[in-house]
Amino acid sequence: MIPATLRANFSYLLRHPLQLALALLGIGIGVAVIVAVDLANASARKAFLLSMDAITGEATHQVIGGPRGIDESVYVRLRVEHGIRDLAPIVEGAAVIDGASFTVMGVDLFAEQQLRSFTGQARTVGDDDAPGESLFRDFLTRPGTVTMSQATARQLGLQLGQDFELLANGRLHRATLIGLFGEDDDAGLQNLLVADIATAQVWLDSTGRLSRIDARIPDGDDAALSRLESALPDGHRVLTAAGRTRTTAEMSAAFMTNLAAMSLLALLVGLFLIYNSVSFSVLQRRALIGNLRALGVTRGRMFALILSEAAVVGAIASLFGVAIGILLGERLLLLVSQSINDLYFRLTVTDVTIEPWSLAKGVAAGIGASLAAAAVPAIEAMSFPPRLAMARSSLEGRAGRLLPRVALAGLGTMLVAVVVLLVSGRSLVAGLLAVFLLIFGFALCVPLAVRAASSLLAPVASRIGGMLARMAVAGIGQSLSRTGVAIVALAVAVSATIGVSVMVDSFRGSVDKWLQQTLQADVYAGVQRGALAPALLADITALDGVEAFSTSRRVQLEDAGGRTQLIAIRMAPGSYAGTEIIDSDPDAVWPRWEQEDVVLVSEPYAYQHAVAAGDVVQLPTDRGVRAFEIAAVYQSYDINASAMLMSRSVYDRHFDDAGVDSVGLYLQDDADPEAIMAQIGDRSEGRQEIRFNSNARIRELSLEIFDRTFIITDVLYWLAVGVAFIGILGAMLALQLERGRELAVLRAVGMTPSQLGTMITTQTAVIGLLSGIAAVPLGIMMAYVLIEVINRRAFGWQIDMAVAPDILVSAIAFAIGAALLAGIYPAWRAARSQPAAAMREE
Amino acid sequence: MTSTSEIQLRRLSKSFTEGRRRHRVLDDVSADFQRGETIAVRGRSGSGKSTLLNLIGAIDTPDEGRIIVGGVELTGLTERDRTLFRREHIGFVYQAFNLVPTLDVADNIRLVLELNGVPPRESQRRIRELLEAVGLADRAASYPDVLSGGEQQRVAIARAICHEPAVVIADEPTGNLDDSTAEGVLELLDSLVRERGGTMLIATHSARVAAVCDREIEIHGGKLDAPARAPESR
Repeated sequence: MIPATLRANFSYLLRHPLQLALALLGIGIGVAVIVAVDLANASARKAFLLSMDAITGEATHQVIGGPRGIDESVYVRLRVEHGIRDLAPIVEGAAVIDGASFTVMGVDLFAEQQLRSFTGQARTVGDDDAPGESLFRDFLTRPGTVTMSQATARQLGLQLGQDFELLANGRLHRATLIGLFGEDDDAGLQNLLVADIATAQVWLDSTGRLSRIDARIPDGDDAALSRLESALPDGHRVLTAAGRTRTTAEMSAAFMTNLAAMSLLALLVGLFLIYNSVSFSVLQRRALIGNLRALGVTRGRMFALILSEAAVVGAIASLFGVAIGILLGERLLLLVSQSINDLYFRLTVTDVTIEPWSLAKGVAAGIGASLAAAAVPAIEAMSFPPRLAMARSSLEGRAGRLLPRVALAGLGTMLVAVVVLLVSGRSLVAGLLAVFLLIFGFALCVPLAVRAASSLLAPVASRIGGMLARMAVAGIGQSLSRTGVAIVALAVAVSATIGVSVMVDSFRGSVDKWLQQTLQADVYAGVQRGALAPALLADITALDGVEAFSTSRRVQLEDAGGRTQLIAIRMAPGSYAGTEIIDSDPDAVWPRWEQEDVVLVSEPYAYQHAVAAGDVVQLPTDRGVRAFEIAAVYQSYDINASAMLMSRSVYDRHFDDAGVDSVGLYLQDDADPEAIMAQIGDRSEGRQEIRFNSNARIRELSLEIFDRTFIITDVLYWLAVGVAFIGILGAMLALQLERGRELAVLRAVGMTPSQLGTMITTQTAVIGLLSGIAAVPLGIMMAYVLIEVINRRAFGWQIDMAVAPDILVSAIAFAIGAALLAGIYPAWRAARSQPAAAMREE
Repeated sequence: MTSTSEIQLRRLSKSFTEGRRRHRVLDDVSADFQRGETIAVRGRSGSGKSTLLNLIGAIDTPDEGRIIVGGVELTGLTERDRTLFRREHIGFVYQAFNLVPTLDVADNIRLVLELNGVPPRESQRRIRELLEAVGLADRAASYPDVLSGGEQQRVAIARAICHEPAVVIADEPTGNLDDSTAEGVLELLDSLVRERGGTMLIATHSARVAAVCDREIEIHGGKLDAPARAPESR
């Protein structure tokens, strides 16, 4: 049986269902956001790893070459001359079918058997009983034949034997679906087409070349590894398959960490809510607690009672939050995978994987936050003397005396945050911890500021709106145990909107400025993945009206230390100004860059690798590893931020790759960009499908991708604002409940319902105003840390901070609006309450 | 029937629901109270004293019957009109004082004057006079939580009469005070109301309180036993 002391306490909560519901909702939403982000992140990561595992199969290592891959003779030599078995050549690239992106994987079925099952075991037409038998024959004899997973075939609406078209390297090709992977092999193999290696080479314009050679080397067999390494020509490397997968996955790690931090913000706001709810229930029950203490309930038991109550509320809210989190996670996963696809790597993931660990973390966070938030009111409950029903005013008085100490603790916490920032080097997690300390510290200072503001504003309000306005404003400072926490919750949520908005706005401004500077050519044309056909390139650059042109080639250089994006550029005369040199004299840098073995590194690269002009980087070239001096650091907000620029002439000396990804056309003054683009369309028709756009359109498209990336941020902070909104609603309802008799007296002495409603509405508006004002300095501080610390540590970008006044004004207006909206119901309820009933209830 | 009574109660009934049961607190109550009269309303706890006072004070409405105060039939008024009537014609003194904790002493009184549209200068004059009358001229800027019970009730009295209402309703005004304080407060209330010619109804258990009133009525089983006693002397 439940002890009577426990029942005495719990019955209070049950008799105040609205208050209980708001507390449950607040903490529930916080938990839901945490669970949703965790599930979305984990599902995205798991889908990626599953896919990589499935594709890698039994391969333990991968042999890679330069930007153009590996000459297939290398594979033949390894197998024939060096007698190395357990190797499988792979040609890999991207293809587009009906607007959706797929990976084409060209394989040698004879070599595949040692490494992968799904490639050679696909079920083919008329081969139901003996999978794989006719596959070899079809792959070898029928060009354009592919196999795929059953899910992919369903997605494309394809039947076995059916023909379809795919776009690869800008050209349309005819393909035939001849086989489906077994059901067991389907996992992780969505959006993958397997073709014979010769077919893939034709489609991807890499005849005679391989993307990599997969190898299986028994664990610990260093001799086999050495034999393989020593058999490779210059410019080729052996990397572990797991390491390559990890390197790719790590590209999105900072993005995911930032999302997790945003989700914690929602719980932090929920924490204020629980504190508010528990402390209110303790204040309301001061007589009951006093009586229980008089009847012999010890301080320790009273503390335990309040905490157990918070734990139960936290547990129920967490379970509810987990359920909502799973639903929310499915929606969030779409946004997360969209961003990862935009920014990092191709990811196909449609279903949330429900990880028990993610759910457990959510429940633990919910209960933990509830207990932490309830600890202070529980200590307060312990301190109630037996039988003494303390007057509310004396409780407020005690709380008021504590305010300076609380504010001092807040300042101390903020100081700790600064110290953490200063000593934590480049740690992103430490940076985020400092942000939370900053928010928490600031939050502790807010109540003291609110009391001061309330005292200062009350006389002003009196002059403007008379006694009622004065009561509304003075009441905020005099009921700080209620209003203070609500203001803090709203201020934290609004400050997050300011911080993130200023950060995004500044970031967008910097990116826009950079795009304007970088996009110097009038028209750009290129192939998304692959290279422009040389003849087409020559035709385009020879068009009438083209005065000059630049070309670029983006390649990934990979070694055991990770990947580096190298951009080989042939600058057009006068286009150098498009690249802003940060730390050196441009006039001295550019001549060297054109002639010598030097590179320019992007600012994020310089930050992440802690290098500067004059340092030397080792790059794996087709002639072996070579040293390149960093001539300068340049500004870049490229999505793949960590990059280096090499002059095309230097690139050609070190790499056997004549490919050009894109070309920038500088037009004569009288040339019409639209007419030039029309000509490009005509020239490329039937030869290669290429993309071409004016610089203005590219700028627009880039900013669209930028904006899409921050949709998820918007979603998360709106959820935090939702929690704060519930906080204000709860606080105002609690205040009305507690002031029931006072309000009844006001009604009795002649205050009309509309006057009472106006007074309460004024109070909520001022609460919103104070929250908004408090949010401004915190928001700007958050923006500063997000820009200067978090963004820098996560991505290496240097952003010019710009605080647009309209962001601040709209944040304050938003805070007032949210508070007013939350105040409507309490005001309506108070106004329609009958004074006689309120008197009787007392 | 014509009457010149300040307060006329005609066949009043009022019930409340308690759980599933309906409890009839006042049952067919009729009475007349004259202008300037002070009436003690007695009865056991829960007998309906406060309900009767709330009905006369236009805080509550009867289920049946009529209430006429100062010639105004309350039972026909809308909620807003009852509020405006209360604001102008009724003053309240409660057992728990019920001062607004967020206002200082002067502002607690000023609130009622402001609601009644009394100009600021006039308000200030009345507040000063009343605080002197209740002996709290030096506590004008104090907040209720620093005042003693007796002091708080004296502020409540000043607030109740500051707008010179026709009727003062006092619900157990000395219930929270010790005997000597209660006596002082009662004398003050009585004298100030009489000075202004107001009619006062006091709900009380106390025979001592009842003794200072002009007459006494008792509620028993929802019925009015009146007049129970006309005080011998005043």
